[in-house]
Amino acid sequence: MKMHSLTTVLATGLLFTAGLKAQDMPLSQVLIEGEDWEVAVEGFEFTDGLSTDAEGNLYFSDVKGGTAVYKADLEGEVTEFVKDAPGISGLQWGGDGNLYACVAREQRVVRFSKDGVETELVNEVRPNDLVVTHEGNLYFTMTPTKEIRRIDPEGKMTVVSEGVVNKPNGITLSRDQGTLAVSDHGGKFVWTFRIEKDGSLAHPGNYMTMRTPVADPEIAKGDGMATDVHGRYYVTSAEGLQMFDPTGRMGGVIAKPDPSLPLVSACFAGPDHAWLYVANGGKIYRRKTKTSGALFFEEPKNNEAPPK
Amino acid sequence: MKVHPTLFAFVVSTAISALLCSVSIAADEDYRPGPDAMPKDGVPRGEVTQHEWMSEIFPGTVRDYWIYVPKQYDGKTSASVLICQDGGGFVRGNGAFRAPTVLDNLIHAGDIPVTIGIFINPGVVPAAKEGQQARKNRSFEYDTLSDQYARFLLEEILPEVSSKHKLTDNPEHRVICGNSSGGICAFTAAWERPDAFRKVISHIGSFTNIRGGHVYPALIRKTDPKPLRVFLQEGENDLDNLHGNWPLANQQMASALKYAGYDYQFVMGTGRHSGRHGGAIFPDTLRWIWRDWKKN
Repeated sequence: MKMHSLTTVLATGLLFTAGLKAQDMPLSQVLIEGEDWEVAVEGFEFTDGLSTDAEGNLYFSDVKGGTAVYKADLEGEVTEFVKDAPGISGLQWGGDGNLYACVAREQRVVRFSKDGVETELVNEVRPNDLVVTHEGNLYFTMTPTKEIRRIDPEGKMTVVSEGVVNKPNGITLSRDQGTLAVSDHGGKFVWTFRIEKDGSLAHPGNYMTMRTPVADPEIAKGDGMATDVHGRYYVTSAEGLQMFDPTGRMGGVIAKPDPSLPLVSACFAGPDHAWLYVANGGKIYRRKTKTSGALFFEEPKNNEAPPK
Repeated sequence: MKVHPTLFAFVVSTAISALLCSVSIAADEDYRPGPDAMPKDGVPRGEVTQHEWMSEIFPGTVRDYWIYVPKQYDGKTSASVLICQDGGGFVRGNGAFRAPTVLDNLIHAGDIPVTIGIFINPGVVPAAKEGQQARKNRSFEYDTLSDQYARFLLEEILPEVSSKHKLTDNPEHRVICGNSSGGICAFTAAWERPDAFRKVISHIGSFTNIRGGHVYPALIRKTDPKPLRVFLQEGENDLDNLHGNWPLANQQMASALKYAGYDYQFVMGTGRHSGRHGGAIFPDTLRWIWRDWKKN
């Protein structure tokens, strides 16, 4: 017990000042005036699974009509990166140089080497989307069974969340890879979990509240997610691409390129990973931004301070 | 030549406004703690202790909180309660509020009842690994419109403090206070649970769309009035950002409280988004919120 002229109080009181001046993160910190969505890829049926590599090439799938993992290089040329790989709904490069994939149609999670050689990790699962940490922990959503599962670097699969998120769909990490964020396709929240030292998940919180359609106020249809170097979270949804600051406050909603079609996947790719790509039906659109993407195959990093 | 009286009044008021505008540029720094925030000879000083809380209602969060117990507390009579959000700032000895000293002075003068202060910081989910950042839960706890924070107080903090000190359970004798998001948090707790909290103090309150809080003026106007006493302080140079315009939002709150017949007080100053003005007037604010405490 001490009298109230304490010095300990002095130091902790600083928290208060910091709290009042929490950084605001409006869309104007991300979007460039005069820049709009432009078509990056077209001619597909239902694009999905947007992912990037260290150079900024874009990888994607066509979950309905596709037969391959496609690659759009920095010049925009589209090639088949892995042939004979239909029905993929989620893709991401791991720190080990392999491309991980949710093969929704075949109910498998697999990886492809740089040469496109496939290795199956698990089968008889219902994978939708995935993220891979630098350490090699793979987390994937199982939308119909309300589950999030983990495949550890040795290949062992465990259920790390069940029944918390109604329809777990999009999945991403904080830039320091200590927090896992999962969007709800059958609710209005993006949930966050702490990733424990053993790779399990703890302390779920309905940290971000998405904007919902007026006609369907409880269902945002949260889908694919991305994170930027300032720790902002992006989530595709019925209302558009929603952006949240690292403390879970909405920064804004970016309109869909084609409002008549679903927006299901988002990724920073292209030169310096400064272009925001979205899957919006048969086409993939992109726009240049003032920020760049967090890359989880790299070492975890703390958030960069945004420009004043 | 005769000057038209209305025109003359206009010219004078314009000149005064211009003067006030030039004054207001430096106004925020001009708000300073007054004599009631300074230790006075002969006034007994209460004790402040620091504690840590791990919450279940906000899973995984830890936070610091402080308890102020006045010298006048006898351990037998139930003390009134003041709960401040972002509590670390309120107990700081050289801060804008210096709440323990203010409570010492006001309790000694008989302006307010014997009050135990509970000063609570927002929670964080600490990082699991070294080098990672904690998940800050402040916005979730303070800006969300729900009864979750009120339940956190009623089911976790108040029972814990009550295990050591005798606290009133009379809602008229519980004041809940905060700044910015802590201000809307205080209002939300009372709005959700008027059976538990009936006296609200908000400084530069975030009645804006951080997480939907801009709807309160509309809700207040179309809801059967609740038995709350509300104090709102705001500054005309406060924030105007993506979440909303703080001066306008607080005017909307005051106007809705007036329309719905609430017992309220609204003080609009010239400050910015800081606790300085709220701190400078804090002793008078407490006197106003407790003005009839001897009758109840």
